[in-house]
Amino acid sequence: MSTPTTSSPARRTPARRRRTVNNAIAMAVSAVMVFPVYWMVATALKERSDILSAVPKFVPWPISLENFTRALDKPGFWTFVRNSLTVTVSSVVLSLIISLFAAIAIARFRFAGRRAVLIILVLVQMVPAAAMVIPVYLMLRSVGGLDFLPGLVLTYMTFVLPFTIWTLRGFVDGVPVELEEAALVDGCGRFQMYVRVLLPLLMPGIVATSIFAFVNAWDDYIFAYVIMKSQDNYTLPVWLVSFKTSESVDYGAMIAASTIFSIPVLVFFLLVQRRLVGGMTSGAVKG
Amino acid sequence: MALTEKHRPVRAPDRGRRTGPPDGRRRARRSRMLPWAMIAPALAALLLIQGYPLLRLLTLSTREFGPRSLFTGQSDFIGLDNFTRIFTDADFLAVLLRTVVFTLVCVTLLMVLGFLISHLLMGVSPWARVVLTVCLVLVWAMPMVAATLVWQWMFQPQYGVANWLLTRLRLFGDMSVYDWFSHPTQALGLIILLTVWKGLPFVALTLFAARGQISESLYEAARLDGAGTLQMFRHITIPIMRPVLAILTILEVIWSVNSFTPIWVLTQGGPDGATTTLGVYAYITAFSRNEYGSGASVAVVTVVILALFSVAYVRRLSRQGDVV
Repeated sequence: MSTPTTSSPARRTPARRRRTVNNAIAMAVSAVMVFPVYWMVATALKERSDILSAVPKFVPWPISLENFTRALDKPGFWTFVRNSLTVTVSSVVLSLIISLFAAIAIARFRFAGRRAVLIILVLVQMVPAAAMVIPVYLMLRSVGGLDFLPGLVLTYMTFVLPFTIWTLRGFVDGVPVELEEAALVDGCGRFQMYVRVLLPLLMPGIVATSIFAFVNAWDDYIFAYVIMKSQDNYTLPVWLVSFKTSESVDYGAMIAASTIFSIPVLVFFLLVQRRLVGGMTSGAVKG
Repeated sequence: MALTEKHRPVRAPDRGRRTGPPDGRRRARRSRMLPWAMIAPALAALLLIQGYPLLRLLTLSTREFGPRSLFTGQSDFIGLDNFTRIFTDADFLAVLLRTVVFTLVCVTLLMVLGFLISHLLMGVSPWARVVLTVCLVLVWAMPMVAATLVWQWMFQPQYGVANWLLTRLRLFGDMSVYDWFSHPTQALGLIILLTVWKGLPFVALTLFAARGQISESLYEAARLDGAGTLQMFRHITIPIMRPVLAILTILEVIWSVNSFTPIWVLTQGGPDGATTTLGVYAYITAFSRNEYGSGASVAVVTVVILALFSVAYVRRLSRQGDVV
């Protein structure tokens, strides 16, 4: 099962035994940690009668998709999906374009005020959303931006910016300058050099960054809740939470809807997992 | 030569001088402006949606801004009255104390458990490492809103899996209709449990990544010298990982104080305000009681507290060379 860590026969057995014990502990920790995720998916796949039973059913069998169909049939579901996607994707695209320029500037140029910019970027991320929501609400209110999707886009874009600039800067740093120099020597213009040399090399970083930005905006509850007043403008998190305040909670449909809401994020994360862990260690990232 | 100096790549100071573009004063001025031009859109957006609201928050906290002000736009300047009011308010002081306790418990649990899991990841077979990592990443990735709703469901009084399990384990007697969310301490405990569970993967994986950077030869040498596990912790692992540990601690403090969604969605700060922390209190004061001025002053207090930690964070980062 495990490979011996040392070649000396005297140590092999205890080392192997220790590893076996560790593996067992690791499996127990995995099971405890992942249980709520499993429970979400399992509940979503259960039949209605199995959800409201005194003895919980740990394996959803027979598998049923009725919770999903009930969730999808809720009035407005597709509107909320569309709102969430529109707001999230626009804020991610906008912030990526803006932050790509800023990240290159910070990583590749040494200029007066650079340090100040970096410090601002770090500090700005620490301001609590629950504190910012008061002035942002009043500000958007005074310009008629409440209950208006672009207002939310602007808010998310700005809240994601410090993070995207910071992470992209790290990825630009990872690209050797010699490649750019070579392109310049070969007669490339600066802009052409960025597009032809830097951008392709940055692609994995851009993907990882945008996924993280996506998750941040996708999962926001407080701003959408305060800024979006009419139900037509709800995003998925606001709608999901409003589920539970209705008189009798349809747990099956609520959990199925939560599953639908989580799936894109879970898939994204598994795809870019390794890159994320590396990129996060150095940067300031909102959890 | 000033030109080449400016273009020197930041992260590669010893890779030799860069062959600068042809000299010329116009070119030089353009290069000096270029980085600022590239940053300008980002700065403009940040000033508009983060800088200005922050200033607005400050001015708001010195004003009597009630429901009427929303429509008239008029508000009276009252100086520091909002602050003296909240600091003489027993409710606010309880909230402040609760936030400190909540943060302390969350961060301690996160750091200790995260460290243990990262250590565990070092000592398992590759397949077990993959399984545990994937489980951690799934937890990390789960959106907070979804996680909170699942929590609600798992601890639902009648049909929740947690109550069933606890009843079966016979730890606290019959728990089959126990309503966690109507008991102050238990509700706060559940919120802490959720926060720790959700935050643990980030801490554990980051510490694991940092631990992987330490050369194994250090441990081998220590082992030859007869050092035990605890001694190796004390003299190798902890000192080398201290910067990462410090940064993670500061970040987790900031995030715990900022925590809003799990509390608001699970209990709305109840029962009887027993789970209200600073963020939730600012929100309730502003939006439920329509006292935007005092809400803003609560928020300002939060920002000031966090600013202290943020400054510590920035100082740590610059010592590490991340903010050069």
